[in-house]
Amino acid sequence: MNSRTRALRIGAGVTALVAAGAALTGCSSTASGGGDADKTTGVTISVVLAVDPPPKATLDQFTKDTGITVKWSNVDWDSLQTKIAAAATAKTYFADATDVDWSRVGQLAKLKWFHPMQDYLNVSKLKGDMPQLASFTDDGQTVGIPFDASYMVTTVNKKMFADAGITTMPTTIDEYTADLKKVQAGGVQYPLNIPFAASEGLSTYWYETTGAFGGKVLDGAGKPQFTSKSSPGYKAAEWMIGALKDGLVAPANINVSDSQGMQTLMAKGAAASIFSDYSGNVGSLYNVPSSSTVTGQVEYIPTPGVDGVGPNLTNADGIGIPMTAKYPKAAATFIKWFTSTDAQAGFAGADGPSKVLPSYALPSRLSAVDVLNKKGSLDGGDVLATLLKDSKPVFPDGAPSWYPEFSRAVYTNLHAAAAGTMTVDQAIKKIADTANQLASGS
Amino acid sequence: MRRTHWGRWIGVAFILLWTLIPIYWTINTSLQTDAQVTSRPANYLPPTPTLQNYAALLTADTDTAQAMRASIMNIVIECLAATIVTVLLSTLAAYAFARMRFRGRQVLFYAVLATMAFPAYTTLIPIYKIMSWLGLVNTYTGIVLVYVSGFLPLATWILYNYMSSLPRSIEEAATVDGASRLKVLWHVVVPLARPGIVSTAIITFLFAWGQFLFPLVLSSDLSTEPLTVAIAALQGRHTVPFSLMSAAGVLAIAIPAVIALLLNRYIVSGLLAGSVK
Amino acid sequence: MRLFGDDAITSSIGNTLLYVLIGVALSTVLGIAFAVALQRPFRGRSAVVAILVLPWALPGVVEGIIWVSIWDGNTGLLNSVLTSAHLIDHYQVFLGHNQLLTVFLTEIVQVWQITPLSTLLILAGLQNIPAEIYESASIDGAGPWGSFTRLTLPLVRPGITVAMVQAVIATLNVFDQPYVLNGAAATGSSVTMQTYFVTFQNLDFGEGYALSLLITIATLVISFIVLKLVYRPVEF
Repeated sequence: MNSRTRALRIGAGVTALVAAGAALTGCSSTASGGGDADKTTGVTISVVLAVDPPPKATLDQFTKDTGITVKWSNVDWDSLQTKIAAAATAKTYFADATDVDWSRVGQLAKLKWFHPMQDYLNVSKLKGDMPQLASFTDDGQTVGIPFDASYMVTTVNKKMFADAGITTMPTTIDEYTADLKKVQAGGVQYPLNIPFAASEGLSTYWYETTGAFGGKVLDGAGKPQFTSKSSPGYKAAEWMIGALKDGLVAPANINVSDSQGMQTLMAKGAAASIFSDYSGNVGSLYNVPSSSTVTGQVEYIPTPGVDGVGPNLTNADGIGIPMTAKYPKAAATFIKWFTSTDAQAGFAGADGPSKVLPSYALPSRLSAVDVLNKKGSLDGGDVLATLLKDSKPVFPDGAPSWYPEFSRAVYTNLHAAAAGTMTVDQAIKKIADTANQLASGS
Repeated sequence: MRRTHWGRWIGVAFILLWTLIPIYWTINTSLQTDAQVTSRPANYLPPTPTLQNYAALLTADTDTAQAMRASIMNIVIECLAATIVTVLLSTLAAYAFARMRFRGRQVLFYAVLATMAFPAYTTLIPIYKIMSWLGLVNTYTGIVLVYVSGFLPLATWILYNYMSSLPRSIEEAATVDGASRLKVLWHVVVPLARPGIVSTAIITFLFAWGQFLFPLVLSSDLSTEPLTVAIAALQGRHTVPFSLMSAAGVLAIAIPAVIALLLNRYIVSGLLAGSVK
Repeated sequence: MRLFGDDAITSSIGNTLLYVLIGVALSTVLGIAFAVALQRPFRGRSAVVAILVLPWALPGVVEGIIWVSIWDGNTGLLNSVLTSAHLIDHYQVFLGHNQLLTVFLTEIVQVWQITPLSTLLILAGLQNIPAEIYESASIDGAGPWGSFTRLTLPLVRPGITVAMVQAVIATLNVFDQPYVLNGAAATGSSVTMQTYFVTFQNLDFGEGYALSLLITIATLVISFIVLKLVYRPVEF
């Protein structure tokens, strides 16, 4: 055997090793920032969020004031959640500040993937000005600070309503349903959009509708509140599926996702209303000529309730500091600035276009909304600002740690009821069973 | 013989229709605005063709265009590097497995193949840990290494099949003449196995081209992020820019096509060479 | 075991087996047909090969958008074409009602994506068959079909084996296509989707690994069966 043949065998061996490496678990490593963790000047922190960066001038000003340089990355929301989970599980550094989704608060508090924010900010003082902060706290830990205040809101195409002879907007669900039938008689084949595809948007729609029917989905202990036929949750499910069976919603909507329905139906004038739409869509989608054929026609209305205006569900995004952050203290300084009244009002347009954060929904601070409202610089701002005061989180005390599993049961079973493979009653039973099982801690 | 020709032309026509209808739909979508796509009935041709999506991706002075340009460079570098290393190593390994007798050969060969059975999700976290431990997160080396480890088993198997089916007589004659194993490999086996090597290279390149999950986790900024990750980032929190993303998709298929055109001589003569000339 | 008590996982196992069956069969038959059509030289052959691989280069997220806009029940291309041709009088809902139809249409998308690989693998093997073999067969009076079944097929068995094993791996791990086209619905969800939910949404990595192991074992078993049934060594 000469050395050359050995080289070939080694080639084969290396192949086997490299390939097998894919199957091996690596030794654990700890990415510690060493003595730099408390440094707050002269450092560069990495901020990763699913939004565009604030204007360069505002970030430069922040650097000038604090000595902290910000490296901003915009990663799409789904990919970002995967990155956060992978980094936290591998105990690897990934960012100094990143997204905290409201639906993951319970999980994150349990897994201790994020630094408790109360170590860095005066959280109890903030609560008065930030109605949604409570939903980012679980088990005594505030895992993130909400940086905007997106929530669910009803949108209508006022032109279509007017064409059907409706000029006073509905304030109750009964009126709303009756008006949709008039719009349908007026020539809009399927006036209502409900995204019945089996994904998160369907759960959200149901929570919002349940709120409008005057109730909530789970109580503080996580017990289902929708099992009796007279409960708001049950009625909401019946109303949604009924709208599909009665032909108010297009049959093809069993496979339409939330964004797809907004973009291909509402923005194209194929649907006249979305009961549970995103705050911000009028300005960022329906009034944009390159993506909509109904510019100037869609407006927000106060969400119709049982006997008067119903509440709106908030689904804000928060920002927090991962445990593996290199400069947690500097990150906290950044978060303090990023969620301050001045910065938020600026992002939403109070100080002119040069300080606007593109596609920013609404400030999470009431004080910032006030500033904004006084200047009158938002699309449909007056309606949105009033609604924000009455909006409430899906889980006022933080989402339970088993939320994703629950939500999946909600959207797969409601989808199945819409597709006709089970009845509303069966779907509700299955969802309730899942919730009971999860809440009892199996 | 006439009938075989008919069969072939029907086959070729079917290949073109099957492949090109969805591709045409991508191009058609990319030349419209979001307000125009998904209309009813469908726009079979763009009503007012516009290149604005391509301009927004390539030439605009925005973060998006900058990300696109950087990620195109990254993906080309990563895929070419992964292809070269994979083809080199797999040629050596396949030859050893096909032509040499050593203890544990079969076990080793099947062990290599068996690693293909692990779903990507299983290996994601361990690989991320290893890469972070080696300091290779957000480096070309790290990403290329992961690609090579992922695609080597398949490449080795393809080439093993190919080399096994080559006639041994020519090699034996060369060995008798006193040529070393490596010389035989380089001067005799590699030229004969060219169609196999070229198709392995194309396959490896395209596998690398489609990667999303691993580079998503292993890259943290524009210094390594490939095009696939940058395209996913075009999505908004609540909106999907159909026409913009279709234009990005057209770029993603155009680049390998351009590379193929540039290397046309080698690829076609390599891939389609053989005894049927 | 908790895994098998879960409805979502049980139905995803059934769906996945259907994906494998449909996907492996279709991609293999198409791969062989495409490769044979390209086996002999003709003008423009290299262009056809270049076009053939394009679906593979299209990123998954764009592929999703395009196929949604083809199958969609509200505004889809297929509905538009069928209506224009007066084959249907109003738009139909193709996905989400019927499990078999949903799985089939979803798998078509994956077959569209993986057939280029099968074709290249088989084509490389075909290029290796010496022309003299065909000549002697035609002297022996074998027609085109005869030389295809008696010569071509047996001689590209190694290539077909690799193509089939690759199709087994791809279809057992199907994720993007059902997720984009049909959400998490029981009519189309796959085991890999459930693995993703358990791992990256429930953040239960233990159960995630258990599900992955299921896929690994299935891959090894099915690939072994393919290997035994299809693979025969060939030497010219």
